[in-house]
Amino acid sequence: MTLEAARDLLRAWTQTAQTPEANRLDIVVTAGDLLAAVDALKTSRWGYLSAITGLDHGREMPSLEVLYHFCSDAAIVTLRVSAPRENPSVPSICHLIPCAVVFERELAEMFGITVVGIPDADRLFLPDDWDETVYPLRKDAKLE
Amino acid sequence: MAEKFTIPIGPQHPALKEPGHFEFMVDGEIITGASVRLGYVHRGIEKAAEGRNWTQDIYLLERICGICSHVHALAFCLGVEQLAGVSAPPRAQAIRVLIAELERIHSHFLWLGVAAHEAGFDTLFMYAWRDRETVMDALETFTGNRVNYSANLLGGVKCDVTPGIASQIYRAVDNLEERTRHYLNVITSDDSLAERTRGVGVMTPEQADQLGVMGPTARASGVMRDIRVVAPYAAYTDFPIQPVTETAGDLQARFIVRLSELFESYRLIRSILDHLPAGDLKTRMPRRVKAGETISRVEAPRGELFYFIRSNGTDMPDRVKVRTPTLCNLASVLTLVIGRQIADIPMILVGIDPCFSCNDRAVSLVDNKGERRWTWEALRQYGIDYYRRWR
Repeated sequence: MTLEAARDLLRAWTQTAQTPEANRLDIVVTAGDLLAAVDALKTSRWGYLSAITGLDHGREMPSLEVLYHFCSDAAIVTLRVSAPRENPSVPSICHLIPCAVVFERELAEMFGITVVGIPDADRLFLPDDWDETVYPLRKDAKLE
Repeated sequence: MAEKFTIPIGPQHPALKEPGHFEFMVDGEIITGASVRLGYVHRGIEKAAEGRNWTQDIYLLERICGICSHVHALAFCLGVEQLAGVSAPPRAQAIRVLIAELERIHSHFLWLGVAAHEAGFDTLFMYAWRDRETVMDALETFTGNRVNYSANLLGGVKCDVTPGIASQIYRAVDNLEERTRHYLNVITSDDSLAERTRGVGVMTPEQADQLGVMGPTARASGVMRDIRVVAPYAAYTDFPIQPVTETAGDLQARFIVRLSELFESYRLIRSILDHLPAGDLKTRMPRRVKAGETISRVEAPRGELFYFIRSNGTDMPDRVKVRTPTLCNLASVLTLVIGRQIADIPMILVGIDPCFSCNDRAVSLVDNKGERRWTWEALRQYGIDYYRRWR
């Protein structure tokens, strides 16, 4: 499947689209449209979910970003969703893609982003006694 | 009977070679549910990478995994070079692939031994690990190290193939090819091993696709996912590989895929040594990397390794995200064990060739009185003092 096919599929929910590299397409969608966009990719069997990346652009930025990377051969489509720094949340995509649960558990504990509707909200990597207010991959996290 | 019995396994357990915690719900001998907790070897490498420069990060990221260390450094270097608009010379790219394939042989032989051991076939375990020494010796002669080869630089590689090294690799490959043929015969004809592998942990292509599995685990279920083929990187464009797939989707198919794809590795290694491009080993690389984001994917021995790298224009990355193949494959274990017997757990787990260190990338270090937490500086100083005492 090609990037053009993905661009057409996702047109209804696209806020902005960019091609940062030859084989990539980055599409910004709202958190409200995420499920519809993922469903469109899944229904038309456009590639597979390869990873979910959390991004913190620094304390001065008002929001965090969550990236959903889908790969089909060499082509990579990234759905970019913003979440406010205060009480950030994104909807869970597990009912569409069940294997996303491990990526979402990692995202939740590392960035403090609530994944609404996740079937298993248990920690994945961090120990039981980890300070609940420290999200290690946030830029302002003090770990020592 | 609605009562459930839960068996906790790990983090420390005789059947686990690395720490992970599983909870299996059972009804008698039959498993009805499963869950997992990881992180027992989590070292916070993604966070640490944000506080080190691009060059230091190669050595840090290479230590994510003790088995497939080279592919981590390779994925990172390819990504950073892409961001900087630099490309390594053809000879360097060929040497990167050469080491990647030698590493795959080392990894698959290690796995064959562990899988045989879990099946109770310790003779095969010992033979496989004996033969693995051949490739490890070749890697040591070539790079100076048995593991963590440290061959990559930003913009190239640091070790060259001399005639002496080439002939040692040729000899190693000839020997291992013959051994692999023998092991392929063993795993398909030995009745006791077949009892433990045939029809166990069956995953249909649809399931494999839905569970998001990668690498040999996917290919054993007929799902062709191999980054070397679908998105060739480094020298795989000049030295293409033929993908190996199986359709049975059971444990035996996972054995067959891993051993069969070794023949492709042997062929590729000989082809690279026969036609090694002449020229430099490295090119100049700027200290600061232009702002931008890139995705770098490579085929690790266990499947697709995914790196997302973001630069803010300084000499340190803003974010390095690593998604290892084991994380994708682990979910399949939790599904495949359901309905099977407790005794099948180790075999199904080992069937994906799990690597927990790869998954777990923070540490809370506690000393033997169980109190103190170590800071990075304290740990570093401890190391310096420790070795000074023994000098």
